[in-house]
Amino acid sequence: MTVFSLYSQISSPLSSSKLDPPKALVLFASSNGRTPLRLGFSRTAPPFRVSCSSSSSSDDPSGDNLRSNFCIIEGPETVQDFMQMQLQEIQDNIRSRRNKIFLLMEEVRRLRVQQRIKSAEGIDAFGEVDSNEMPDIPSSIPFLPHMTQKTLKQLYFTSLSFIAGIIIFGGLVAPTLELKLGLGGTSYEDFIHNMHLPVQLSQVDPIVASFSGGAVGVISALMLIEANNVDQQGKKRCKYCHGTGYLACARCSASGECLSVDPIVTDATDGPLRVPTTQRCPNCSGAGKVMCPTCLCTGMLMASEHDPRIDPFD
Amino acid sequence: MSGVLLWVVCPKGNAAAASLLGLGGGKLGRQQRPGRVRVAAMSSAVANPVARTSEERVYEVVLKQAALVREQRKEREKAAGTDGLSNWDLLNEAYDRCGEVCAEYAKTFYLGTLLMTPERRRAVWAIYVWCRRTDELVDGPNASHITPKALDRWEQRLNDLFEGRPYDMYDAALAHTVSKYPVDIQPFKDMIEGMRLDLKKSRYKNFDELYLYCYYVAGTVGLMSVPVMGIAPESKASTESVYNAALALGIANQLTNILRDVGEDARRGRIYLPQDELVQAGLSDEDIFRGQVTDKWRSFMKDQIKRARMFFDEAEKGVVELNAASRWPVWASLLLYKQILDAIEANDYNNFTRRAYVGKTKKLVSLPIAYGRALVGPTSTKVAELTRI
Repeated sequence: MTVFSLYSQISSPLSSSKLDPPKALVLFASSNGRTPLRLGFSRTAPPFRVSCSSSSSSDDPSGDNLRSNFCIIEGPETVQDFMQMQLQEIQDNIRSRRNKIFLLMEEVRRLRVQQRIKSAEGIDAFGEVDSNEMPDIPSSIPFLPHMTQKTLKQLYFTSLSFIAGIIIFGGLVAPTLELKLGLGGTSYEDFIHNMHLPVQLSQVDPIVASFSGGAVGVISALMLIEANNVDQQGKKRCKYCHGTGYLACARCSASGECLSVDPIVTDATDGPLRVPTTQRCPNCSGAGKVMCPTCLCTGMLMASEHDPRIDPFD
Repeated sequence: MSGVLLWVVCPKGNAAAASLLGLGGGKLGRQQRPGRVRVAAMSSAVANPVARTSEERVYEVVLKQAALVREQRKEREKAAGTDGLSNWDLLNEAYDRCGEVCAEYAKTFYLGTLLMTPERRRAVWAIYVWCRRTDELVDGPNASHITPKALDRWEQRLNDLFEGRPYDMYDAALAHTVSKYPVDIQPFKDMIEGMRLDLKKSRYKNFDELYLYCYYVAGTVGLMSVPVMGIAPESKASTESVYNAALALGIANQLTNILRDVGEDARRGRIYLPQDELVQAGLSDEDIFRGQVTDKWRSFMKDQIKRARMFFDEAEKGVVELNAASRWPVWASLLLYKQILDAIEANDYNNFTRRAYVGKTKKLVSLPIAYGRALVGPTSTKVAELTRI
């Protein structure tokens, strides 16, 4: 307990970032070694053992002492794991874990710097690109490959040159061709007449016509891009929970309450034995939803072994 | 494991359907009299199975399944618990989601399920989703967080859902399925056992070990699906033989998958071929990692393909004993997956860099052929007695 209170005292200065980072890291490293949060766990250890019914006594291969009591798969009793903690303790736990996440991210950043330095020096035969953390930006325009800053510049260049080309064509080339060579020059009326379309169309004012054409083009382009975007966001979602991260709890059918299962207390009267009472569903603790074990509540479809980026054949 | 399980949960060639479909028929390699094996099975259930081969142990499971089917017919009316099943809308939505997941991850298999009756289709989807979720525990993005304790908890959830207390909506779909069809829990438990095994192993010393592994990941699927597919009422074949054939089909599918994905698995550092047979053929792990097709490799692959075809033949003997409505999808998947072996041969046994792929046309052509073969019903009494040696 003393270790734990020391830990919570450490965590508060850290959250106000009075200590400078290296010291904070050292403190964290040492406190990890002592696994102070274990005390919080050890008091709740019995519920772990009851719900686990584990037959194997082997420790987990990751070797992280802090995590050895934690199990990634949820079961009917797992929400009770932290039941014996007091409210203040829970808040301290949450805060200290948040701090840890923050510091771990910083560690990852520094490790990456080293990794980049070292791999630039060494010769990497495979030349693997670490693409797992930050995925490529998929393009919103259908049929275009992944975008990066470089391809974005290419896109700018291509689009602007197209626009310039069309403007030059429409403004200079076409009238010149008509005047000098007599090519083209079909009037709108003749065109409508040739196409056997209703004559009213030829009475359209050219400004209205060009505005309409441009507007139709822009609106349909935007529509296609948005549809493609939604499609791609859909692909990035976990298919099991549809991106919500949660699945409906089966015990309470997603309502949060289920019938009380206390045994019947018979009383002397012959009236109805039991009034149906509801209690908070023990599976989901009243939430009506439980963790999706595939995406671990992230809602995202992470890179997996069957990801097309690393599957060579598809 | 990745490549191998790929077919079970994401079978491009309709493998899971194939193994999901029980086939009746003869026995596996070891020919033993049924009576003797039954006695042996009962005595060895008590004794410790030290010197028995994997095939014998697996056969024991098959016998138990068949026996349980007979028992369960008496206990069918036992209430399966309705806590999670009282809301039919939620259940239907769960089944629909199962179908979506199946369509997303295993397109050919999904198309195969469309050939089944609607009730069976939903049941097969529910089983598929459970198998896939179990596979993703050790193969998916979160595999690094999976500990033996996590698998224990997953097994606890399985026990709960078989007792009618499903945890989430996909468990509820499977719970409903097992309440409607006489599916036993043992194959599911064995599949989890296979996951545990795969966490530890990446090499297989002999075919016996490989057979056990194939049973765990694919044979179990066959056993799970026989109750759903149903045995034809006019069939005279024994229940054991149908389960055996289902098992054989599962093994055949898994072997095909292994043979197709040798290169892919090697890239992940795994070799799913028996080490002693490799040595016998004069090959080593380095040859596989190097990925060059030599004559030694060709002759080794020829033998492996021959063995896989033998399992397919065993399986074929039992398809005819299935329910009439289930025969077509089973035959379709069997034929489709068998064609993968032909494709490997057509690739000159180069499964290192080329994927043995059955083209769409060939797949479509197999459908009417399968339909034709599905018209053949269960064997007559005499033939059944003759084949039951």
